[in-house]
Amino acid sequence: MGLVARVVEERGIATVCISTGRDLTAQVMPPRTLFVNHPMGNAFGAPGDVAMQRAILEQALNLAVNADHGGVLVDAPVAWPTPFTFAPAQSRM
Amino acid sequence: MQPIRYVDALNRHYASLGHPPYRWTINDSAPFVKLSKPLAECTVTMLTSGGISQCSALPWNAEARNDHRLDAIPAGAATDAFQIHDAYYDHRDADRDLNCQFPLDRLRELAEEGAIGRVADRVWSGFMGRIYDRTRVINESAPAFAAELEKDEVDLLIAVPA
Repeated sequence: MGLVARVVEERGIATVCISTGRDLTAQVMPPRTLFVNHPMGNAFGAPGDVAMQRAILEQALNLAVNADHGGVLVDAPVAWPTPFTFAPAQSRM
Repeated sequence: MQPIRYVDALNRHYASLGHPPYRWTINDSAPFVKLSKPLAECTVTMLTSGGISQCSALPWNAEARNDHRLDAIPAGAATDAFQIHDAYYDHRDADRDLNCQFPLDRLRELAEEGAIGRVADRVWSGFMGRIYDRTRVINESAPAFAAELEKDEVDLLIAVPA
C-alpha cells in the first residue's frame, strides 16, 4: 500500500497512509503516514466508536495539510484498551 | 504498548515455512507534493486493501496472492452493504461497522460539514492481501489507479492498508 501511495504521489496527487504496522510502513516510507497502534482491522477504532473513528480520520487529514516533507511518520495519540498480538500462522499468511 | 514488530515476526514465520528470507522493500526517501489547495476545497478519496467489496460485487479471494483486482465503489454506497473476505486479519469488528477499517460514513460527514471540499465520486478497494510482484504494482497497477484518481480530480488520497 505504501508503494501505491508513493506512485500516486509521484503523479502529483497528495497521499496519506494509515498504518497499524509501524515497522512495516517505516521501511517502505510512504509520503505521509499516521501510525495507529491498534490491531490490524481496527485502524480507525472499535465498531460504533464514532468519535474515535472521526478523530483518527481528522488526524490523517491534519497530517496531509501540515506535512512539509516526504516520508514523515506520525504516531497517533491513541492506545488500544487491551493488549493484542500478531500470530501469522493463525492468520494463514 | 510498544508497536508490534511485524517484520521480525514475519521473518520468523517465513523461515518456519522453509521460505528464503523475504526481500523487503526498504526506501530511504519518499516523494512529496504539497496539497494544492485548502482542505475545505479538496476532493478526497480513500483506498482500502482489506478485501472489502460491496455485497453487490464479487467477494474477494480471502487467500489472495498477487491479485491486482481494483474495485471502484460509488462514494454514496451504504456502509451496511459491504462484505469482507480476507484471511490475513481479524475483520470481525469491521464486519459489524465498516468504519472501523474504511470510514466512509465519517468521510462523508466531514464533507457535509465543510471540513473537506467533497468526497470524490469513487472510493476504492484493491491491492489486497499479499502482492509479491511489486514491479507490476509500480509499473502498471498503481499508475493505472493514479490515472483513475486524475479522472476524478482527486486532490488527496487516504490509503488504509489492512
